[in-house]
Amino acid sequence: MGLEQHFPALIIAILFSIAFLSPILYRWARKASAPALLVSLSLALVMAISLLIQVHQGGEIYYHMGGWEPPYGVEFKVDYFRAYMLLVVLAVSLWIMVYALKDLQHELKIGMLGWYYSLYALLVGSMAGIAMTNDLFNLFVLMEICAISACAIISIKEDRACLEASFKYLILSAMGTGCFLLGVAMLYMVTGQFNYDLVNQALPVAVEQYPNNMFAASALFIVAFGTKAALFPLHVWLPDAHASAPSPSSAMLSGIVIKIYAFALFIMFYQLFPRPLLDSIPLNEIVLWLATAGIMFGSIFAMVQVDIKKMLAYSSIGQIGYVFLGIGLDDTIALTGGFYHLLVHALMKSMLFMAAGVIIYSTGVRQIKQLAGVGQVLPVTMIAFTIGAASMIGIPGTGGLISKWYLALGALEIGRPFFVVIILASSLLNAVYYMPIVVNAFMYQEKFEHVAKPVPRQMLIPLLFGVAAIIFFGVVPGPTLDLLEYAIGLLF
Amino acid sequence: MDEATAIAVILFVILFPIVMTPVIMSAGGRSDKLRNALSLLTSAVTFVLTLSLFPVVMRGDVIQLTLFEILPNLEISIRLDILSFNLGAIASFIWFLCTIYSLDYMAEEHGGDRYYPVLMFTLGSCLGIFFAGDFFTLFVFFELMSLISYILVVHEETEQALKAGYKYLVMTIIGGLALFLGIIITFELGDTVSLGVGSIIEEVTFLSFLAFACFVIGFGMKAGMFPLHVWLPDAHPVAPSPASALLSGVMLKTGAYGLFRVVFNAFSIEIMQVNNWDIILGVLAVVTTLLGSAVALTQNDIKRRLAYSSVGQMGYVLIGLSILNENALTGTMFHIFSHAIMKSCLFLAAGAIIWKTGKRQISEMGGIGREMPYTMACFSIAALAMIGIPPLNGFLSKWTLGLGALDANLTIYAVVLLISSLLNALYYLPIIVPAFFEIIGESEAAEGGSHGHNQTQVSALKLKVQDATPKMLAPLIILALCTFIFGLTPLNIPFDLSQLTTVFFLEGGIF
Repeated sequence: MGLEQHFPALIIAILFSIAFLSPILYRWARKASAPALLVSLSLALVMAISLLIQVHQGGEIYYHMGGWEPPYGVEFKVDYFRAYMLLVVLAVSLWIMVYALKDLQHELKIGMLGWYYSLYALLVGSMAGIAMTNDLFNLFVLMEICAISACAIISIKEDRACLEASFKYLILSAMGTGCFLLGVAMLYMVTGQFNYDLVNQALPVAVEQYPNNMFAASALFIVAFGTKAALFPLHVWLPDAHASAPSPSSAMLSGIVIKIYAFALFIMFYQLFPRPLLDSIPLNEIVLWLATAGIMFGSIFAMVQVDIKKMLAYSSIGQIGYVFLGIGLDDTIALTGGFYHLLVHALMKSMLFMAAGVIIYSTGVRQIKQLAGVGQVLPVTMIAFTIGAASMIGIPGTGGLISKWYLALGALEIGRPFFVVIILASSLLNAVYYMPIVVNAFMYQEKFEHVAKPVPRQMLIPLLFGVAAIIFFGVVPGPTLDLLEYAIGLLF
Repeated sequence: MDEATAIAVILFVILFPIVMTPVIMSAGGRSDKLRNALSLLTSAVTFVLTLSLFPVVMRGDVIQLTLFEILPNLEISIRLDILSFNLGAIASFIWFLCTIYSLDYMAEEHGGDRYYPVLMFTLGSCLGIFFAGDFFTLFVFFELMSLISYILVVHEETEQALKAGYKYLVMTIIGGLALFLGIIITFELGDTVSLGVGSIIEEVTFLSFLAFACFVIGFGMKAGMFPLHVWLPDAHPVAPSPASALLSGVMLKTGAYGLFRVVFNAFSIEIMQVNNWDIILGVLAVVTTLLGSAVALTQNDIKRRLAYSSVGQMGYVLIGLSILNENALTGTMFHIFSHAIMKSCLFLAAGAIIWKTGKRQISEMGGIGREMPYTMACFSIAALAMIGIPPLNGFLSKWTLGLGALDANLTIYAVVLLISSLLNALYYLPIIVPAFFEIIGESEAAEGGSHGHNQTQVSALKLKVQDATPKMLAPLIILALCTFIFGLTPLNIPFDLSQLTTVFFLEGGIF
């Protein structure tokens, strides 16, 4: 054991330090700034893989920052879930960054690139932290960093819509963080601890004396993480924010930022609150119905959108509902499906946003109506879009089918076929708004009206990688599912 | 042929057309001739190899093989039994003929470079459906075929085609999702979806009924069952004629095939009959039959009339599936054969007329039989078979179905069959009779006075025979001959196969 044991801290350290270095590098060694960011993201990814292997070989890892034991120091914990989430976050952000390097050049003012890299690294670092932390107060700090950097990568574009959207996001996000802080305070009041494990141990005793504290805390957590993860009806900030941001930011925000909060809520439910206590409150039921409403309304709102990015953003509200559905159904198989969907949706939604970005870059068209015939000029992009859309609908051979299969099987397992119908109905709605785009793109009789700039290869290759990944996770879901099922088996 | 070879052949016939798709696509960019030759070769090889499985099937062998597991108990597998073979053989046969026909038909059409690859891909996925070893594999190929054949439906790219295509797509996706639900419930209840196990679901609960309903919706949609047939009369006529022939002649049968599997593999005859689920199918079947035939009467566009007729004919297949006794099942199976042959013959003939003369409206087709005697002769034979005139194959299937209905003491079904035959006669004969006996231009002559009358009569007499090209006529004639050969003849292989299928299923030969 040498360096490996410090990987949890190193991942965050490396990302935060590149966040500080990026603007400086950009000023004095412009050519080195982008590679430096890519290298540090890749390094972080390699460390995450190594962490997963360590967990697999030696069980859960507890890392104490600076050697301080809890309750005094901040503790990081890596188990299967956290390693999985870490991998998803880092892999997808590296992938998006490859695309972003080219795309940003036309979306941002040239001097802003360094700042963007900085914010991006900060965002990824804070998400990696959220995935690993085992301390409530540390989680609060990381959530603040995450929220601010997420707002900043929207407003960096400096047009009116972006500023407005990011302001809205900032306010609601701050409200969410406030709720979280209040919830943490409620728990701290009765347990005197911040560390998850210690809170978990202290709660059963504390609850007997102060039962309302835990109820209030759990309610506040649902509101806090629900707001941040765009759980219906707290989603109102999302469509504007995700639609107006630069495309790589949209991909990042819709692809993983909302997922990390769903994941955090999952950790709260399954690792912070003791199981018997949790069962006494219908928390899962609440999440379940909110998720159901989100799935349906997200899809219905998406149907009436005219702007392609806005449509994708509304679709995210529906899709994050699947992840919450997995949590709400509270069943091994359904949770597996939810976690699998977390990965698959991160891949497909990021890819769809990238494809939309390519379309906007090349033709300048954002309106869905004007996209008719775009397949003639951007065949590769539209094929990628088609695969992404197919996965959204759940066509066999794509990852989307597998997660739906597991969610549906889980719903049947606990004897609630109603939710299977919801899943299928939403697939149908997805088909209703994705299919016309695909069909019109390829089956348009007249010539495409707009001029299309050639698309650089650096933007197309990430798209093709996305296609490959979606099909891979649709055809060979075995290893990932085994990992998830094993990890979830440990919970129950 | 031993089992290993048979497995290789099955995999080959599924994958070969799919693998050839990109090859044909790339060939299309260079030379049309090469592209056509490759397509023809693909369908011919597939047809011959599918037929070569005949001895294996006749030995009574059943092949069930798991290729790989996607999830525990959920696998991609293949299966060969007599039912798979029947459907696979008729599908590849019709596909081969339609490819020959396409060579000339599509020569002047646009988008041949898209048409042929898609045609071959659908062939592969269609055979994939028939040779699938479990419901999940079946579902995968079913979705592939349905989605890819969308390109055939909208081939013309007219506004009408796109509209019909959109309807088709929405219905396909609804059907696909219903199937998905049905399969997932089956998986949940029986922990397997393999076709190697008879009656996966043994208990009747709300969930199992939901599964049944979903299967009926999913497969019934494809089979054009009332009230899910709405896409069919729009989608089939707008496609290029050889594609219409395949859509109506073969792809509809995938739905019937799926229902066959549902009745026998997912459930069992006992479950169907004890819970009166057979009556659900029966009522839907009767409505489908009568409605399809009745609406066909009102259509003036020839391809639309044929499409509605398909709805009616699929009703027969469903009637057989709801009666569920020996004769009825034989009749159903045989009707799948017969209808594939008759309907593709009719669509190809209609296509030849449209291709040659541009006439689609039945009212304009007076005298067409003198202009295109061979085409119209084939059309007439197939239409007579549809009506059920002995000794053609349509008669035999109706006869057997009727016997089945009487065996089960369900006279009502026999009456429905008779009424529907009458309706068939009512809408086919008005095409055939004027085609041969009406003098072209009679109506205009009446308006133009006596002088004009003389002229048109002269021109009618002078009218030259301008039939379709040999490549288009050959498939037509083969199909028309098939209606004879597979009718009341002593050596009727499809009928024997149908009887064997019935025996196979009724005597529990599923395992």
